[in-house]
Amino acid sequence: MAYKHKPSVIEKIAESLKIIPSLHEEEGAQIPRITEPGELTSYPPPEQWDNWEEYEAKGWARKEKKNYSVVPTTCFNCESACGLLAYVDKTTGGVRKFEGNPYHPGSRGRNCAKGPATVNQITDPDRILYPLKRKGERGSGEWERVSWDEVLDDISGRIRKALEEGRNNEIAYHVGRPGHEGYANRVLQGWGVDGHNSHTNICSSGARFGYNIWQGYDRPSPDYANAEFILLVSAHLESGHYFNPHAQRIMEGMMKGGKLAVMDPRLSNTASMADYWMPTYPGTEAAALLAMVRVILQEGIHNRDYMHDWVNWKEYLQKVHPKAEVEFDVFIDKVIEEYAEFTPEFAEKETGIPAETIVEVARGIGKAGSKFSTHNWRSAGSGNLGGWAVARGLQFLSVVTGSVGTVGGTSPSAWNKFKPEFFDKPPAQKFWNELHYPKEYPLAFHEMSQLLPHFLLEGRGKMDVYFTRVFNPVWTYPDGFTWIEALTNHDIMGLHIALTPTWSETAYFADYVLPMGLASERHDINSYETHSGMWIAFRQPVLREFARREGKDFTFTYEVNPGEVWEEDEFWIELSWRIDPDGSLGVRKHFESPYRKGEKINVDEYYQYIFEHTKGLPEAAEKEGMTPLDYMKKYGAFEVEKTSYLKNLNKVADADLKGAKTDKETGVISKDGKALGIEVNKEAVVGFPTPSRKQEFYSQTMVDWKWPEYAIPQYIKSHVHEDEMDRDKGDYPLVPTFRLPVLIHSRSGNAKWLTEIANRNPIWMHPKDAAKFDLKSGDLIKAHTEIGYFVDRVWVTEGMKPGVIACSHHLGRWRRERDKVGNRWATNTVSIERDNGKWTMRTLQGIRPFESEDADSKRIFWSDGGVHQNITFPVHPDPISGMHCWHQKVRLEKVGPDDRYGDIMVDTNKSMEVYKKWMDMTRPAPGPEGLRRPLWFNRVLKPTIDNYYLKG
Amino acid sequence: MKFGFVIDNRKCIGCHACTVACKSEHDVPVGVNRTWVKQTEKGTFPNTRRIFQVSRCNHCTDAPCVSICPTEALHTREDGIVDFNNDRCIGCKSCMQACPYDALYIDPETNTAAKCNYCAHRTDIGLEPACVNVCPEHAIISGDMEDPNTEISQLLAREQVKVRKPEKGTKPNVFYIDGDEASLNPTATERSHEYMWGTQTSGVGHYAKYAEQKAEGADLIAMIQELNGHKPSSKEATYGGSNEQETPKKQVEMIMGDANPKRVYDTPDKGILWGWEVSAYVLTKAISAGIFLMVVFGSLLGYQMVETTQYILGGTSLIFLAATGILLIMDLDRPDRFLYVLLRPQWGSWLVKGGYSITVFGGMVTAWLAGIFLEIPILESVGFLGGFASGVMVAIYTAFLFAQAKGRDFWQSPSMVFHMFIHSMMAGAAAMMVFSLFTNVDASWMSLASYVLVGSLIVNVLVMIVELNITHPTEDAKLVVKMILKGRYSNMFWVGVLSLTNLLPIVLLLLGIEALLVPAAILSIIGIYLTEKIWVEAPQRIALS
Repeated sequence: MAYKHKPSVIEKIAESLKIIPSLHEEEGAQIPRITEPGELTSYPPPEQWDNWEEYEAKGWARKEKKNYSVVPTTCFNCESACGLLAYVDKTTGGVRKFEGNPYHPGSRGRNCAKGPATVNQITDPDRILYPLKRKGERGSGEWERVSWDEVLDDISGRIRKALEEGRNNEIAYHVGRPGHEGYANRVLQGWGVDGHNSHTNICSSGARFGYNIWQGYDRPSPDYANAEFILLVSAHLESGHYFNPHAQRIMEGMMKGGKLAVMDPRLSNTASMADYWMPTYPGTEAAALLAMVRVILQEGIHNRDYMHDWVNWKEYLQKVHPKAEVEFDVFIDKVIEEYAEFTPEFAEKETGIPAETIVEVARGIGKAGSKFSTHNWRSAGSGNLGGWAVARGLQFLSVVTGSVGTVGGTSPSAWNKFKPEFFDKPPAQKFWNELHYPKEYPLAFHEMSQLLPHFLLEGRGKMDVYFTRVFNPVWTYPDGFTWIEALTNHDIMGLHIALTPTWSETAYFADYVLPMGLASERHDINSYETHSGMWIAFRQPVLREFARREGKDFTFTYEVNPGEVWEEDEFWIELSWRIDPDGSLGVRKHFESPYRKGEKINVDEYYQYIFEHTKGLPEAAEKEGMTPLDYMKKYGAFEVEKTSYLKNLNKVADADLKGAKTDKETGVISKDGKALGIEVNKEAVVGFPTPSRKQEFYSQTMVDWKWPEYAIPQYIKSHVHEDEMDRDKGDYPLVPTFRLPVLIHSRSGNAKWLTEIANRNPIWMHPKDAAKFDLKSGDLIKAHTEIGYFVDRVWVTEGMKPGVIACSHHLGRWRRERDKVGNRWATNTVSIERDNGKWTMRTLQGIRPFESEDADSKRIFWSDGGVHQNITFPVHPDPISGMHCWHQKVRLEKVGPDDRYGDIMVDTNKSMEVYKKWMDMTRPAPGPEGLRRPLWFNRVLKPTIDNYYLKG
Repeated sequence: MKFGFVIDNRKCIGCHACTVACKSEHDVPVGVNRTWVKQTEKGTFPNTRRIFQVSRCNHCTDAPCVSICPTEALHTREDGIVDFNNDRCIGCKSCMQACPYDALYIDPETNTAAKCNYCAHRTDIGLEPACVNVCPEHAIISGDMEDPNTEISQLLAREQVKVRKPEKGTKPNVFYIDGDEASLNPTATERSHEYMWGTQTSGVGHYAKYAEQKAEGADLIAMIQELNGHKPSSKEATYGGSNEQETPKKQVEMIMGDANPKRVYDTPDKGILWGWEVSAYVLTKAISAGIFLMVVFGSLLGYQMVETTQYILGGTSLIFLAATGILLIMDLDRPDRFLYVLLRPQWGSWLVKGGYSITVFGGMVTAWLAGIFLEIPILESVGFLGGFASGVMVAIYTAFLFAQAKGRDFWQSPSMVFHMFIHSMMAGAAAMMVFSLFTNVDASWMSLASYVLVGSLIVNVLVMIVELNITHPTEDAKLVVKMILKGRYSNMFWVGVLSLTNLLPIVLLLLGIEALLVPAAILSIIGIYLTEKIWVEAPQRIALS
């Protein structure tokens, strides 16, 4: 159906007289269709990916053609790692665009806005292209370009010295969302350091703890597509792990007739699509969930068989009601008694949701039965003191409906997530780093990373070599000024290395800023629990693969990447090799090739080994006459399992059963002191990785670790509970955690097409509350936190629960005047003043158009860059889960004549006071037998077992 | 074969993936969009909803952008896709006035118009449009609507669908399942420069170049003031002239109860695209045609004119005609391509008809003058009669052009032809009176001119009354009338137009005092400019989407 313009006589004459240019030149041959006329397909066929020809949209008038090498990779914006296809222009050798990868089982060829926007990040004129070293003072904003060799020698020498001197705990790798499967963890164990620090405690530890205490797995994996009822304490139609894959499947379930209920005080896009929007008062969600459990049990619509077989109800009766008969029906009666207080009316009083709605939703859940899917990610679980109890309440609903791991139910994450097998597994390290896992938090689900600067400033230790890896705590974490104080203190911070593709507020305070690759410039493997099934995907530097296809010669990826941007894997191999060139430290051997004895491994071999040991992949590759590595380089993803349900019913392997003992009382099967499974209905099955191998309604662990009041699921009143509010003085709970569909923390600000859609973060407020302060949308308000204040605009909306306010956290990025470039699409220019502990920040200028090689930078039409709220929050570590409890009690005040939009004040002395106040809430180790931490709890980089016991 | 889109609002989650995938596929500059997701909130807590509406070119069966495009840059393909060729585009922005859906923009990179073209470069080789591919929810469905086996045909057969502004008669081919009036209807909510997640503080698209100059330090506000020929408040100037509207609350309430909808996200405002050049060109062309028509009428009535006066008036007509041409070219975003109007003509476009009318008129006036000068009576007669015919065309064609601008309801007025013609007569008569200052115009001509002026002024007032009261059945047009009579243009209209430059000149002329004739004429000319300024600008303030 190609269109061809037929010129009029006048035009023909004018063109032939050359008065006007001819637009009717003969065109070359048309590109052949890949479908029948009228039919459309989504993607070029993979057999043409090496040499794909299509019309260039921008040259469509002239039928301009382009030849591409189509190379798969995965997105590196949020954690979902959705598939991308990079269209590498064969003429220019650059990436023209990204589309989805149809062979990716999680994302299925589709993406959110952040996927295609990756191309902006690659061409961002402000990105970092070469290794940089600080010139002046730390934080001075002065940098000079250095060579990778110099960088590697300096850092490796320093690490070697620390290892030689036994200062292993002074080396740490602090990671934002990792986006890889165990790569860096293996490196750290190869060095023998307990040096992993993550962002998890400001992200998801709360929810993780709640799930873990039930079933030994820390995340849910809902099978939305087959669900009849979906309850989200999250906003998975617009954000969260795993936004795009989950949103696809939630909608699939809904289109098949599934109902959606959403708890959120704010009308998220997800809530807007829901059948039931339940605008709960923040932190009261567990009250509603327990009330629903009670309704389901009272009405007898629970799944009796499942609960009978898979809940540790006997243990509960024996421990809590020793005089009661150990009968299942007695158990149900006792549970109803336990939750007698949780009437729908009580739930209404706490949450603000009408009692009828709670009953109606509970009945819907009960009716859906095993087809009930749930999720809680960040949101309530990460907002509140005791937020972990929300996830625990949610899992309770999964348990009573018997929907754990069923079709349409909610599986544990690990059932849908692939674990790669490495060519070499270094031994457990002989160190326990108390800066990461301090005694005060024996149950903390992950490292107490938000307290690192406080620990360092308090004198608990020091960092000699500290890597921040695509990680921006100064901006993303609470109490950013305390981070600046720690990062700029040379006594406690030896060398700070920021590994980052783009400038960040943290990188400004580094000694080295080392450019690491974006989505299409790095290696990683990914596997996430996006649905019932299991897949792996390969993130690869697409220009490296292009160079290989073109037969080009190169050693390191940075030779083919833009500038000298290095993909990380090779960086770690080179660094590790230089730490121990002669093998005397025992590091080198973990970086030797499994294919070439004694020689340094290369990155292809690293992945070759994993793919050769991936279930079913070698066979699939062989069918196409390829090696597993080549298969992954071509297709970028592989489906390991199509569906994965009820894995608790997997049989214990016969070999394992040999010599194993079965506890008659509990049915737990164990061997050599290690539990392997459980006997249920006379079958030896693996069950769940809890002490009882069952779903633990009753948790002996909580009792043993001094929290007997939480032996069973409870509702814990949040630190922002209504009781804490002095409404007459202007107190409000602030929900500062919500995400927008187009942005992702501080990683996406350098994408112009995303920033033009979202660039500011006003405080959401119900009209009634706005009226109290005589405010309309756009007016300023001053929000006082415990340690300071920020001044923001308000956005008045009916989409906000009265009495609660909310503010999105992606925006309010900044740079100082001395930071000349750096993410200018999204940063305000600020001045920062320090008067001892008292810090003030003022916006000098909003976002402005600027000159660069991208003509669009002059077309910036927005100027409001939002307000950085997180930096005004103190740390609020939950005494049990260790999660930072994000919600804030803020006192609102009308602005004064000297207050300006974006003003921020923080007193870090007060930060330390709040930190201590929350520390006082902990119940420190040791637990039973002098343990630092329950042995059955997961831990990143498990050290040797003796390290688990507190000495002395 | 006929391609169209179904937008399934049951599934759209407002994620903007389509927006960005489209930007990536077409490398669309910052500030402008081929597809975007308008977001509207309605209801009262907790019965609140956010409506997401993917908005884009409707690939109309009767596409007004194609009809008005002077150079066939916009065209409808056999498969129903409304595509464009930016090598042909002259940047006249008439398509942006014609499209009732706000689908087009000026690409600041090429200074030519652009919009969704259904990814014709992809569909021609068998690939789905980029937005369809990326959508996480498969909420955008493309395909051949004439093939009963396609998903889109089946959805259209089964589901209830709505289109945007069916009353425009454009036969849109983007169909919404669960389309909501609060969002489909642009007047249900107000446009703003401050939305939930962003603000707009400078111009985009056609105005992006001024934002660029801002980057280089020039004064944007002054720039836009000059551009729009008026002194806007500083806030307004910053946006390149703004779409501002007064919501017809009553109508909204009738449709939706007290849902109180609020627009919470939309794309940046593209500003007022036809600025002072267009108002000025209507005046210059009115003078040019009007002077000659005055000569013709006078001659037909038997008035005699000395040769010198003929030269001066004919020459003046040509000078104003040249000014008209210059203004028209100045208004183009691709002035280098102005000849395309004549040399790549799309005969259905009134821009082309107008262009040729102007050219022919210029030729005829020249012929007339040459005939007089060379004393070739036949040439003089041909020029005289041809000038008369083409002069009338020049005077009135803009009314037809405006009528072709389907996006602007206010311009869809049958009285517009009279309006244009009367303005031409006023301009001609007034100009002739002003010229009496410089040259010896016969007293009889002066009295003829003053009769014509006073008569046409009176008719003009009547035509305005008709235009502002009777001929506007639609909501958009009523909003414009409200803006003129009671809103931002009320001072300019009541004082500037009606009192000072229409009624006052009538009074002055009726007084019959010779000294007052020229001032009355000057006031009338100013009145034409002010009227055209309002008539051109005000309708462009109505949001189309």
